[in-house]
Amino acid sequence: MANGILEQLKNGLLELDRDSTVEAANSIIRGDISVSVKEAVDAVSDALQIVGKRFQDGDWFLAELVYSGEIAKEVMNLLSPLLEAGATESAGTVAVGTVAGDLHDLGKNIFINYAKSAGFNMIDLGIDVPTQKFIDAVREHKPLALGMSCLLTSTDPEIGKVIEELGRQNLRDKVKVIIGGAALTEQFAQAAGADAFAPDAVTGTDIIKQWSVA
Amino acid sequence: MMDFRQRILTTLNHEEPDRVPVMGLIAEPATSDRILGKPPADVVSMLRNPELKGEIRDIMNSTWSDILYGNFSDALEAAIKLGFDANWTIYTLMQVVEDPEFQLGLALHDIWGRVWEMRTDADGNIVVNYIRGLCPTEEDWHAWVERNRPRFDELIKNAADHHTKLADNYSDRILPIGYTSTGIFESSWQSMGFVNFIKFVYQKPDFVRKVIDFQTDLYMKYLDAIMKSEVDVVLGGDDLGQKTGPMMRPDLIEKLYGDSYRRISELVHKQNKKLIWHSCGNIYALLDKFVEWGFDGIITMEPTAGMELGKVREQVGHKLVLIGNLDVSYLLVRGTQQEVEDAVKKAIRDAAKGGGYILSASHSHSRVDPTRLEWMIEAAHKYGKYPISV
Repeated sequence: MANGILEQLKNGLLELDRDSTVEAANSIIRGDISVSVKEAVDAVSDALQIVGKRFQDGDWFLAELVYSGEIAKEVMNLLSPLLEAGATESAGTVAVGTVAGDLHDLGKNIFINYAKSAGFNMIDLGIDVPTQKFIDAVREHKPLALGMSCLLTSTDPEIGKVIEELGRQNLRDKVKVIIGGAALTEQFAQAAGADAFAPDAVTGTDIIKQWSVA
Repeated sequence: MMDFRQRILTTLNHEEPDRVPVMGLIAEPATSDRILGKPPADVVSMLRNPELKGEIRDIMNSTWSDILYGNFSDALEAAIKLGFDANWTIYTLMQVVEDPEFQLGLALHDIWGRVWEMRTDADGNIVVNYIRGLCPTEEDWHAWVERNRPRFDELIKNAADHHTKLADNYSDRILPIGYTSTGIFESSWQSMGFVNFIKFVYQKPDFVRKVIDFQTDLYMKYLDAIMKSEVDVVLGGDDLGQKTGPMMRPDLIEKLYGDSYRRISELVHKQNKKLIWHSCGNIYALLDKFVEWGFDGIITMEPTAGMELGKVREQVGHKLVLIGNLDVSYLLVRGTQQEVEDAVKKAIRDAAKGGGYILSASHSHSRVDPTRLEWMIEAAHKYGKYPISV
């Protein structure tokens, strides 16, 4: 029975069946079945791993990634308040924002959603983030990584400015920098001095996972 | 030697013209001004003056169609001056509203229920970017449609006037290619935001069907209005791709939009015109669909999304005319003349044999450099002569 409800939670997410997934989560919360919240959270995480693989293999696309992420977010919002403190260990802190001049947040939000479900403590700096706010976030939160999102070609110079400023303020060697967004490429990342370029949220999460265990 | 019209039409029929045609995507006033040597109007300073902001808003709203005509008149003049064979022309209906949330305190609300921010780029040019939808709920969307019924008619009338006037005034010197700019997929999701839209797809499919049917009817009228200008080719489009692949599963796109796209192709072909389709992003997985839906060609093929002309040609052969692919993130912004020339040679080598390729930037934005566009055209003239030998 316990396995059955965890299967329902996982399969609901993988079949993009929001109602079935939420029903399973509520059943666990009510204590109908003897399953710990930690086991439920792990089931959601496992499902999202499979979602990520489907996306990277080209079987699922952005719409499915977004919708499964939204279902997972809804379920995690139900489960998280019941998690005992320390029940799950954070994989690390990552601060993320969309660069100055750019108000787009779809890609950033998918990344935050996905990385959060993978166990990261995500600090959302928002959109149109000025250079100093990125710097302040690195000082304050001492994150494992700083993420910058940029959709527009017209705002891509902002990424270089932030990386330069990290260097000027002796912070560059204290944080990894990962960038992503429609305007950017691997070559751009190298030229700007970033540590990594993520073409999508799933790859981005894989990269910070590698940094997390290194 | 062929003229620009013969060159483009021959290419669209997958035959070899005298040389590879070159299409301009000039749209931004900053680009036209630099090409034409016009001093740019310092609208930014005026917008930063609180006493003038309201006045500018009112002037923009009352002369919207004239402003757009002026923009594209300048764009065509600029394209002619550089030697392009064709350039796209766009009409859209927007209302300027004050919005303190944005950098210049102004936003544009368009007829499709989208909010666009007006801001300056790193060079001080005014740019506009889609930010969000005005209809996050089903009720909002129905209310928006009801409230704007008269304006949909205004869009159709103004679009016909705009494209007809541009064609009348410029088609003896360049081929203006009327572009709908907003596709059915974009207008359906962008009015409510992508996350909301995807939730509706799974949770309220009947509502999504209503939205798509409404947008399809509006789009058909819009496209028909452009065709009143007696142009030979029209540009439709929908940004169906993102950086790594389509925004949705191809079978879901087929289910939701396939019939709409077939109807659009039929409408254009009934008038003996060609339909070129714009889509940003990585669209390899949709190329066969484009053929199936009846499109004659595609424009853009964003290199930053992994699109390579040679691979596209290999996949679709001569079932689609290909336009574009020259990078606007680096090459046409700050690339060297050698890099531009090499990219032009590669594009011609990869796609131009047998006709069916029009050289062009992959997109436009205000930082695309006119000098790089000139180098692109020079290289096309130098290496694009048929038979191709690069």
